[in-house]
Amino acid sequence: MLPALCKSWLRGLLCTPVLCLPAALAVADSCSDSDLEALQWLDRMTRSVDEISYHGVVTLQRRGEDMQVMQISSRVNDESSSERLTQLTGQGVEVRRLEHPLHCVHPGHRLLLRETRGQDECGLAGQYRFRMSEGTRVAGRSSMRLEVMPRDMYRFGYILELDHHTGLLLRSETIGLDHSILEKFQFADLAYDEGRTSSADISLVHRASHPGPGETGAPHSLSGGWLVRWLPRGFVPTDDVPADAARKTYTDGLAVFSVFIEELDRAIRPGEGLERAGSTTVYTRGIDLANTPLLVTVVGEIPVNTARMIADSVQWTH
Amino acid sequence: MNERLRESMSAMLDGEANELEIQRVIKALDDNPELRETWRRYQLARDSLAGAQFAQVDISGRVRDALEAPGAIPSVSIGQRMLRPLASFAVAASVAATVVVGGQQLATLSGEDPYGADVASSGGVSPVGMINSLGAVPVRASYGTEAVAAPMLQPATRNAYEELARQRMQLYMQEHAEHAALNSPQGLIPFARVPEIHE
Repeated sequence: MLPALCKSWLRGLLCTPVLCLPAALAVADSCSDSDLEALQWLDRMTRSVDEISYHGVVTLQRRGEDMQVMQISSRVNDESSSERLTQLTGQGVEVRRLEHPLHCVHPGHRLLLRETRGQDECGLAGQYRFRMSEGTRVAGRSSMRLEVMPRDMYRFGYILELDHHTGLLLRSETIGLDHSILEKFQFADLAYDEGRTSSADISLVHRASHPGPGETGAPHSLSGGWLVRWLPRGFVPTDDVPADAARKTYTDGLAVFSVFIEELDRAIRPGEGLERAGSTTVYTRGIDLANTPLLVTVVGEIPVNTARMIADSVQWTH
Repeated sequence: MNERLRESMSAMLDGEANELEIQRVIKALDDNPELRETWRRYQLARDSLAGAQFAQVDISGRVRDALEAPGAIPSVSIGQRMLRPLASFAVAASVAATVVVGGQQLATLSGEDPYGADVASSGGVSPVGMINSLGAVPVRASYGTEAVAAPMLQPATRNAYEELARQRMQLYMQEHAEHAALNSPQGLIPFARVPEIHE
């Protein structure tokens, strides 16, 4: 059932011209040899998750919070991959994505893969500058270090360390505009094999959804179509949702943000509120848009000012 | 002084203000000398409760300096300046220092502080979310009879929009994570950012 669903969804996505447009419009200022080398590594990193089975222990540190520890496993066969994330601390949830078809490539990954980057040879190099160097040892593996620095103020930077031999992402740091580390995840232990069953006490099993038309975002829709007039360069929609969907999500391949709209039944005092955790920004703003009071919320791994500008640019399509 | 500003100042004194609130307070302090005096009185009141000595220091200037150039300032020096034992503006300072240096916890953990300083060991700079230990002072009933009308007498009611934003994080993080997990390189890791995962 799942492969069929993905196929129809993917076809819809490929045929929507609007989705292809932003990527084609992104023009890189420059695209040097080192950029091309970095892009090759990003391509390799993205392919690695569909090619190799592995399991290991991952830690996640977000500023101001306790370290989270979790087990990750990924099994790949000829047709599909199955991933599990088991929280060993905190809530103790196991998130599963089983039998995700390998041919189903989502827009964020399409931006990183050479075959699907489209016309633009430089791809992500339009939005980020790259610097490659020898990485540190992560989970006992030697790594390539890839510094990914934003070319504008609208996104965060990253320091990625990829397995020298497989390209797998072993460590990732999200770097704020002030060069502070907002979030860091890394493997503490890693083995390239099928893995073993975990003995963790699981409080809840969550099956990760596979967004497509009619799957998510459909439960409630708004009274009219809307759009964001401004997107930072290089961001494309992650899924094909109707114009009146209550949620729309965008990615530039590395960062992802979602815009949620709530229609209110009475006027609201205009204002804004902010909540942050690690690299995540939640920015909520009350506005009156053509006599409809709305609560616009931008959720994503982006700077506050970017979230504010996106919320500012929401308008009805009519 | 409007209600919103009062709430922001209160939150700042309690060490619970966020960036938007701090910016709001600083702008207001900048524009209004009278308000600066009020702020100083709040500080005095706070410090007398906390048993600290009062020093005539222009807090707003320090806080503003600290905030205006977070990237440029070697934050440890702010920390040290602000945390001198005699400095009675420790509460405001801790807010500013937390905002400015909070992000370096991780950097310090990894021993790669981009500013080349060990913030965590400077003693007294509390990590984000823990500054209440400095800021939370039990309010005595008798305090209400004093002339200083301090916002901290009220429960630290937060700006309604801050509350909305916090609720939206609970409400929307999981749906966002579903998409982030398929469209960013970290696989299922985005789910680990969800405050509470539901089935």
